[in-house]
Amino acid sequence: MGVATIYAAVHDLDLDIDLAERHRSGDARAFDEVYERFGEMVYNLALRLSGHREEAADLTQEIFLRVYRHLGSFGGRSTLKTWVFRVAVNHCRDRLSRHALLMLSIDEETGEGGKAFADPSRSPEELALAADDGRRVAEGLAHLAPVFREAVVLRDLEGLSYEEIAEVLGVRVGTVRSRIARGREQLRVSLERGQ
Amino acid sequence: MNRHVTTEQLSAYLDKELGFVEMRQLDAHFEACPTCGARLTSMRRTLRGLARVERLAPPPLVTQQLRGRIAVESALSPSPVRRLLRLVSGLPLQPALRTSLAMGLTLVASLFLVTHGVERESRNLVPPASPEPQTIVETYLGDSPMMPLPLTTSEIAGLGTFVLTDEGWVQDGLEGERPEARVDVGSPEGRALLTQYTNLEFLVAEGYTVLMRDNLETVELRSSGTPDRVLGFEADPSVPGRGLRSVSA
Repeated sequence: MGVATIYAAVHDLDLDIDLAERHRSGDARAFDEVYERFGEMVYNLALRLSGHREEAADLTQEIFLRVYRHLGSFGGRSTLKTWVFRVAVNHCRDRLSRHALLMLSIDEETGEGGKAFADPSRSPEELALAADDGRRVAEGLAHLAPVFREAVVLRDLEGLSYEEIAEVLGVRVGTVRSRIARGREQLRVSLERGQ
Repeated sequence: MNRHVTTEQLSAYLDKELGFVEMRQLDAHFEACPTCGARLTSMRRTLRGLARVERLAPPPLVTQQLRGRIAVESALSPSPVRRLLRLVSGLPLQPALRTSLAMGLTLVASLFLVTHGVERESRNLVPPASPEPQTIVETYLGDSPMMPLPLTTSEIAGLGTFVLTDEGWVQDGLEGERPEARVDVGSPEGRALLTQYTNLEFLVAEGYTVLMRDNLETVELRSSGTPDRVLGFEADPSVPGRGLRSVSA
């Protein structure tokens, strides 16, 4: 890790702590900023862990209510990003284990959920192929065991580092490496079989 | 290297999480071994598929409902309505029904606020935060043959929700985990934890163990001595408006 990277990380952490202090002191914009930064990530995480748009919307609300209640106690022992993801994963586990509501197929084209982000640099044919690939993978993800699905979603969909995932899940980096590998392998095999 | 590449090596190779020497060894192996080469190609295809999984923006309704719930929560805390909202959000109902119920309660509470002259600026997502009295223990009461038994939970600032189980208090998300370390409340580490987290002592006061996360480690906090029997809790006059202290036998 270079000096610039360390400086950027420390700077980000200072910003995170500042946000929490502003929230504690009653600055309403602090929570708005947190929602702005993490709303989309949390919604997509909840969507992939639950496999259900309506449940993901509900989970997102509940997660941010928790964030709102506890943001003032954020002390900077981790980054705000991993803290929010941790709240999110714990809440999803809690809720989904109680309801066992994993839907095994997500119809991306229907429903009244959120809007997809468009990529203007790709042709309609490329977009259609990519969407089809993405749909098959999303369905494959829904069949993974929850511990593997969490690790793969955090790594490959949310782009967290192994160390960040270890913090979010509260496990060692070696465990994260193993879960990601096994989750990807199961997904690979299921996709190969499906072809 | 003669053996086939393991699943973990393949995954770490694609993430460039291996050292220079091992990366070069695997480069050479993938060139020479058709089986592993095919697995590499297949895994690359899988990762490309993962990168194509559609990302969605949260529906606008999520933001609107969240705004409403936060406004009501911060205006009413802590009140029976807020407890009711929390109870509703914890019920094992279909999401649509749960949301409708919560929104209905929010509407009723909002009407109550309007008719009682409570005013709030609502241009931002949240209203200005007010000092939030801490809830030590919440027990959801009420029986229904259709519902599971209510959970007894406790909120500890900085740690989140704890659930009372047969094994003692367990931090939300640590269910079923084994402790990596055991800490006695009388030890320096135990005292440090009690100092760091306000009200944590109430969880161990009744002789329960507490399974919690501390510094990425799962810790079981317990009292080795014979605990005083806690008869109940009363307001702590040294912390006006927010503190509770235990009353022991």
